[in-house]
Amino acid sequence: MGFSTDAIHAGQTPDKATNAVIPPIYMTYTYAQEEFGGNQEYHYGRSQNMTRNILEQNIAVLEDGKYALAFSSGVAAIHSLTGILKSGDHVIVSDNVYGGTYRLFDKSLSQFGITFSWIDFDDLLSVEKAITLQTKILFIETPTNPLLNLIDINRVSELAHKHNLLCVVDNTFMTPFFQKPLNLGADVVIHSSTKYLNGHSDVIGGLVVMNDKVVFDKIKFVQNSIGAIPSPFDCWLVLRSIKTLAVRMKQHNKNALQIAKILSSNKNIKKIIYPGLETHPQHELAKEQMTGFGGIITIELNDFEKTKSFLNKLKIFTLAESLGGVESLVNHSATMTHASLSNEGRLKIGITDSLIRISVGIEDVEDLIQDLNQALK
Amino acid sequence: MSEEKKNNKFDETKYSMDTRIIYGKNISTKWDYSHHVTAPISSSTTFRLDSVERGAHGFERFANTKVFGEETPIFIYDRLGEPNKDLLEENLAYVENGEMAVTFATGMGAISAALGICVGAGDEIIAHHTLYGCTISLLNNWYPRYNINVKYIDLTNADNLIGALTDKTKVVYFESPANPNLDIIDIKKIVKIISDFNSSRDEEHQVLSILDNTFSTPFCQRPIEFGVDFVVHSLTKGIGGFGTDMGGAVIGKRKYKDILLLYRKDFGAVLSPKSAWAILTYGLPTLSLRTRNQIQSAKKIANYLNVHPAIEFVNYPGLSNYKYYEVAKKQMVDFNGEFSPGTLIYFVLKGKNPAASKENGSKFMDYIADKAYTMNLAVSLGHTRTLIEHPASMTHSVVPPEKLNERGIDAGGVRLAIGLENVDDIIKDLDEALKIIL
Ligand SMILES: Cc1ncc(COP(=O)(O)O)c(C=O)c1O
Ligand SMILES: Cc1ncc(COP(=O)(O)O)c(C=O)c1O
Repeated sequence: MGFSTDAIHAGQTPDKATNAVIPPIYMTYTYAQEEFGGNQEYHYGRSQNMTRNILEQNIAVLEDGKYALAFSSGVAAIHSLTGILKSGDHVIVSDNVYGGTYRLFDKSLSQFGITFSWIDFDDLLSVEKAITLQTKILFIETPTNPLLNLIDINRVSELAHKHNLLCVVDNTFMTPFFQKPLNLGADVVIHSSTKYLNGHSDVIGGLVVMNDKVVFDKIKFVQNSIGAIPSPFDCWLVLRSIKTLAVRMKQHNKNALQIAKILSSNKNIKKIIYPGLETHPQHELAKEQMTGFGGIITIELNDFEKTKSFLNKLKIFTLAESLGGVESLVNHSATMTHASLSNEGRLKIGITDSLIRISVGIEDVEDLIQDLNQALK
Repeated sequence: MSEEKKNNKFDETKYSMDTRIIYGKNISTKWDYSHHVTAPISSSTTFRLDSVERGAHGFERFANTKVFGEETPIFIYDRLGEPNKDLLEENLAYVENGEMAVTFATGMGAISAALGICVGAGDEIIAHHTLYGCTISLLNNWYPRYNINVKYIDLTNADNLIGALTDKTKVVYFESPANPNLDIIDIKKIVKIISDFNSSRDEEHQVLSILDNTFSTPFCQRPIEFGVDFVVHSLTKGIGGFGTDMGGAVIGKRKYKDILLLYRKDFGAVLSPKSAWAILTYGLPTLSLRTRNQIQSAKKIANYLNVHPAIEFVNYPGLSNYKYYEVAKKQMVDFNGEFSPGTLIYFVLKGKNPAASKENGSKFMDYIADKAYTMNLAVSLGHTRTLIEHPASMTHSVVPPEKLNERGIDAGGVRLAIGLENVDDIIKDLDEALKIIL
């Protein structure tokens, strides 16, 4: 089936009892047991919920995966990887992942004896060198947040499998509409459904998709034992949003490409990063592993004063954390999303005080361009 | 689970209604939502039909309970019926001791439907002169357009009805306690007079009674047990109970179900399934608990106000000096037979004349709006929060000042709808506010 067809139908057969075309929001968290010692599938809402299961089935199909699990946030989804880790294990992480991922790994999980190496995945040799007997996972985000570096999922997966490791890809920025990591060899896909999948800035959620039953069972165990599950109502909202994912992503992509092209010639911008521009160093890779370039553009202005003034002058773009909503947002990475990194850490990976991440919404692109132009003056 | 339960043959009547209000009939034919203890929220406007034949059968069954009875419905489209509304209707009918219920988007949706199926051009409605403001507006501003005449009389004296009934009368409509002054109407007497009048009339020309039971909720009063034909409710109030959802219902005899469903389908005031779910899940099951608590508080507050020097008079059915106390005691009883005088209080502040009393009322309510923690100046009632309002300028603003008197409303009347706060806290706030009047 085509992507849009699956988005609308996968997992969502009409309700058995009533034939309701849209599945109900199954609110109960407990299920009456038919008989003592019976073998019912549903017992308790933390373990199983029908609306959640529908969302899980849906995203599994969209990512071309076999299994999926839903969580109460993207970070909780990433945390569920602890199901395949134990004290003493080692994880290699691409060096400019989302700040919250960094915080989770560096500040929390390290307390439990799991170690992390932060490596630039442009250089796969140094990644390979960092692999030890304790290494279990190669964790990457592509494009990275906020610098939009691409990582070759195919090659990273090959490297992982050569060493019997799992390749985990945070696919939040692209969504399965533009990039399907499992088809490129990855083992596990992570989503913050807070972003494009839900797309309306009103739900926090996370998803994990995979093909391997053993991995699935381990992560499902974490879902149930840690209990970071999304509410049935939130699952229903994400399901409703996914139905328009294809149309939204097309528009995000179209608006972003047009804006990136126009900003490319603006003198007040020191640097513009967008995988859809031919000037992007990995434009060819982008065309290979993605079917679109997404809605995120990162720009660097000439200095911090100009950056502040630009952010304050914008009228349509809202200064706010997060991305992927229908409305356009701008984010000052150094003080907002990546504030959990040290100053040196930020600078080392190129997050300067003048770096701005733009999440291009689906408003009329003429209005967006006009707003950016007036603020850049 | 036992076979009797599965087959809906389980006899639950040995349990008290306080308990049954939580379970309803326990197993519904409307939606076998598998083993879920709490109903799912239905969120589909349309329902898949397996074949044209089944579709045709669904349409044939719709609003045809006369033929198909309570068979599991074939759902077609939300406006015609869907699981959450159907479940709620089943439980509402059960609690009010009616044979059926049909829900609507709001109380006004329900009231206009109940009246709408009973009257046509040339017919006449007799109504008690004191009613909720929007009901007055419906009767006065819209019905004349359809050549439906409305005659207002004082039904607190039931005998007034005897001379008022005519060949054209189709409906006797009232609230008891009435909004806002808490007039109490002797339901049994009204029913008796109507039934005497009906005995000489054929089936086509029977006069029907409609009672708006919003102020009492079925916890305090079940008018169908006294012979009333229809109970209407604003579910927005005590039954919903939390102030989150609008809703309405008409409850009565089974033979009216089909026409009510057709009316709802064609006029379109359907209750949202999400609201139906909230009322089904939170509202109705906690009705006993909330109302019993609110009545306890209302009694204490009414007694406090009753002797307060700044207050001219207090209308509360539970006060033994209230002029309708005896009637109220007869008909306002809870599921276990205890006197349940309701959760609303109406009172008037002292003043040399109506204008001065009104001014004192405004001062008092503004002070509360400004300073009180336990009360909100807001319309509506049956909320978790205590709500206070000024009928003459709010809920009943449709009544012009010079007509307030004939509708039994005082220019300075205050309506107080008790919530779930600690009663002594409410009294503390009232006490402070009343001090400024003294
Ligand atoms: C790429 C990426 N992954 C994960 C997350 C974390 O998701 P959440 O905020 O839903 O926990 C974010 C959030 O900003 C993100 O941008
Ligand atoms: C006695 C009475 N009946 C009916 C209504 C109308 O209900 P709704 O607001 O749900 O339409 C009200 C609302 O204030 C009311 O107090």
